[in-house]
Amino acid sequence: MKELRDLATKLLAEGTVNVVLGWEEGPRGVRPAFATDAAAAGRLVFDPRCTQNLVPYLSPRRTQVKKLGKAAVVVKGCDARAVAGLVRETQLAREDVVVIGVRCGGVIADPASPEPLSPATVADRCPGCNSREPKLADHTVGELPAAPPGESRRDVRIADLEARTADERWAFWQDELGRCVRCHACREACPMCFCERCVADKTQPQWVDSSPHPRGAFAWNVTRALHLAGRCVDCGECERACPVDIPLGLLNLKLARVASERFGYTATDDPAVPSPVGSFQKDDAQEFIL
Amino acid sequence: MARIGVFVCHCGENIGRTVDCARVAGEIGKLPGVVHSVDYKYMCSDPGQALIKQAIAEKGLTGVVVSACSPHMHERTFRRAAGGAGLNPFLCEMANIREHCSWIHEDREAATDKAIDLARVIVEKVKRNVPLETIRIPVEKRALVIGGGIAGIQAALDLADGGAEVVLVEKEPSIGGHMSQLSETFPTLDCSQCILTPRMVEVYQHPRIRLMAYCEVDAVEGYIGNFKVTIRQKARSVDETKCNGCGACQKACVVKNVPSEFDERLGKRTAIYVPFPQAVPNIPVIDREHCAYFKGRARGMKKDACGKCKEACARGAIDFAQEDRFVTEKVGAIVVATGYELYSIGKDQPAAGLKGYGEYGYGTVPDVIDGLQFERLASASGPTAGKLLRPSDGKVPKKIVFLQCVGSRDPAKGIDYCSKVCCMYVAKHTMLYRHKVHDGEATVFYMDVRAAGKGYDEFTRRAVEEDGAVYVRGRVSRVYRDGDVVKVLGFDTLNGTPVEIDADMVVLATAMRPRKGIEKLAQTLSVSYDRHGFINEAHPKLRPVETNTAGVFVAGACQAPRDIPDSVAMASAAAAKVLGLFSNEMLEREPTVARVDAALCAGCFHCERVCPYGAVEHKEVRDRKGNLLKVVADVNPGVCQGCGTCQATCPSKSVELMGFTDEQIYAEVNALAL
Repeated sequence: MKELRDLATKLLAEGTVNVVLGWEEGPRGVRPAFATDAAAAGRLVFDPRCTQNLVPYLSPRRTQVKKLGKAAVVVKGCDARAVAGLVRETQLAREDVVVIGVRCGGVIADPASPEPLSPATVADRCPGCNSREPKLADHTVGELPAAPPGESRRDVRIADLEARTADERWAFWQDELGRCVRCHACREACPMCFCERCVADKTQPQWVDSSPHPRGAFAWNVTRALHLAGRCVDCGECERACPVDIPLGLLNLKLARVASERFGYTATDDPAVPSPVGSFQKDDAQEFIL
Repeated sequence: MARIGVFVCHCGENIGRTVDCARVAGEIGKLPGVVHSVDYKYMCSDPGQALIKQAIAEKGLTGVVVSACSPHMHERTFRRAAGGAGLNPFLCEMANIREHCSWIHEDREAATDKAIDLARVIVEKVKRNVPLETIRIPVEKRALVIGGGIAGIQAALDLADGGAEVVLVEKEPSIGGHMSQLSETFPTLDCSQCILTPRMVEVYQHPRIRLMAYCEVDAVEGYIGNFKVTIRQKARSVDETKCNGCGACQKACVVKNVPSEFDERLGKRTAIYVPFPQAVPNIPVIDREHCAYFKGRARGMKKDACGKCKEACARGAIDFAQEDRFVTEKVGAIVVATGYELYSIGKDQPAAGLKGYGEYGYGTVPDVIDGLQFERLASASGPTAGKLLRPSDGKVPKKIVFLQCVGSRDPAKGIDYCSKVCCMYVAKHTMLYRHKVHDGEATVFYMDVRAAGKGYDEFTRRAVEEDGAVYVRGRVSRVYRDGDVVKVLGFDTLNGTPVEIDADMVVLATAMRPRKGIEKLAQTLSVSYDRHGFINEAHPKLRPVETNTAGVFVAGACQAPRDIPDSVAMASAAAAKVLGLFSNEMLEREPTVARVDAALCAGCFHCERVCPYGAVEHKEVRDRKGNLLKVVADVNPGVCQGCGTCQATCPSKSVELMGFTDEQIYAEVNALAL
């Protein structure tokens, strides 16, 4: 903790950055912090409650942080993939941000949780994580803790869904997506949703029905999932933001696996790896071409 | 409010037989916004077009739908007619009720219903069409010709004589290509150099041709009419402006045993050399790999190991310090004429799938040679001064066996195509052989003799009837050295007997393959190539010298195996195409190109990555004070071919293809579905 605070204080003091994005203790668990001075830097924390991904604040669509000047951002391994994603898709120049990586042993799904990290409280994405030490970081702090506890719950759920018939899956998603109220919180929380005008907001023509009618809810959620296929960095923010608890992570993970199997692309924190969209390889599967 | 006119064509019986055109016109006439709907026997005829013009004038139409054949057939015709009546041509669209309906259906009722649907869809689209203006782009009236063989030379001369400026780039030190290596040419047996070298000199002296020998194309940017080409001038180590081609440097050179590329390694050359005495330009080049000076440098010697050429040069033209230079040329069109190389028979194979012919002993038996090596042995300017002597011991071969189809027509060895020229050049070889060695016996193993062409079959008959070549139909299984002779084991499939011949020499008629590195060049030029590496023409019958990239043309053996007459004809055809292009002051392009909404674009550049034509550029968006707000995608209308891939890829749908906007497509789908 001291290492992180000292580094943030130093970066601010020497003028390398104007603001450090991290986490601090809030009235209800940890919350995102925007430290612009030594006092604020001294309040930064990192512990298993720091589940929030702070990288969406660096997306050009969110100008508030940009107004503060050059930023440093504290990232876990999963968040680092979002930095790489923004760099890969020319939303962020790598040299415009200082990346402070934290070695991570898994986080709790709820940042306000009073419970300690355990197989019961761990976030869905953490068990089996293989990026606990961000490679793209300029500075990496902390000791590498023990691996996240527990087993992947999502693997079980995806296997369960895959075992069902198409009709049963359809019924399952109708039930899940039928709850959608079209608040678009999933979009707002997502680091990779950076379009100036989302296709869901396009009116001429209106491709996506804007009402929370099942048809609109399906059109929206399927569009969102497809636009993130292979691009999703699996930070879990969409699912955490969803007020009606739609298991968006299942959709994202399934599509990520398809992208990996079909195109050999896995979301990574190496911005030099080309985006799956538009990177053509001779051996790409093309059996859909008749 | 839209005022649409619909014109339903019977196309004689073509549509009328299967589709009730009067019912189509009647039903469509009831649609909101349609103010005029008629059917007619032949809409593309003059009276048919007059119907359209008249309706535009009298009814004040804001859009026209011609329900007829494929737009490939007559869209231009009807757009011109609409334009002639004062309507923007792009407000006229076609509904294809022939290829998409009458030709493929039998049930008249159902076909008529479908024709109504097809027309209704296009009516909804045209309601949302907006006037578009033809794009006009300037043309740089200079051409780049890549490759200085006979095809490149012919193209350059035709272009320059037609008034265009030409940049001719050749990667070897001299132009001339493979034709300069040939002894005589079929079907007339005239001397290759005698007909070629005057053309080479003509290129050199032509005021409108800039000859760049020992150069390679490094990068190409831009689009038809406006290419920017970066050319690498490889270091000759000789100052071209000072050298007068006296040859003193070559006499002085101490390295005299470098295998000559021009003589197909049958002769030797010096390290500073011109490939052959008639080279154009007649300026030597130092082969740094073999030069004593550069070898000494490479070993880290402080003292110069040699410098004899520099001492011998009276004009101080030798420049050891010369480096590769890059020059940029602006051209409006490019002709690719990079030619061929021979199938590699021996062990070293340039590509996976090619297997070579180890069983024929090439490379291990010195008296087994390929077709080009035979040309050099027969050539008066060759290593034996035109005397036919075999490489191993310099004896006159009394028995030569020629094998056709080595490499070609043999999928097992990697090439399934026919190399086209081998039947002819083998016949020529047997004749040249008999003319030099009167008692010589020439035996040819062939699969079948393909001699289609003016005077070609007569030529191969002459080889048999007048010059006594023995043709044996069959393949050879093995060639090996047996003491003084080369044993050839084959099978005569007409007699059904094995054949064994003790030959003095064996000549393998190897197939033509595209030049090494053609794939990289093709990628630089964004032209497609087949699995062998031959450049693809735009249409195998109707557009044989164009490529799929506008402004890039192809000539000669880089497109497919070609002989000299074919190459020359292609080169002239390509030159004619380029001159046709240059006859325009401005190029007109269809305005159906993509356009990015800069206000909405988030600059993720997925469109740039998927664009097959490299048409997407980066554009800075600034506020009034000049502060950079963002960088967005921008489509260059000169390059865009209107394929719509960017439009489909854009996650926020901020790219529109003019004439095929989301709104238009959406309206079409809705017209069909609702």
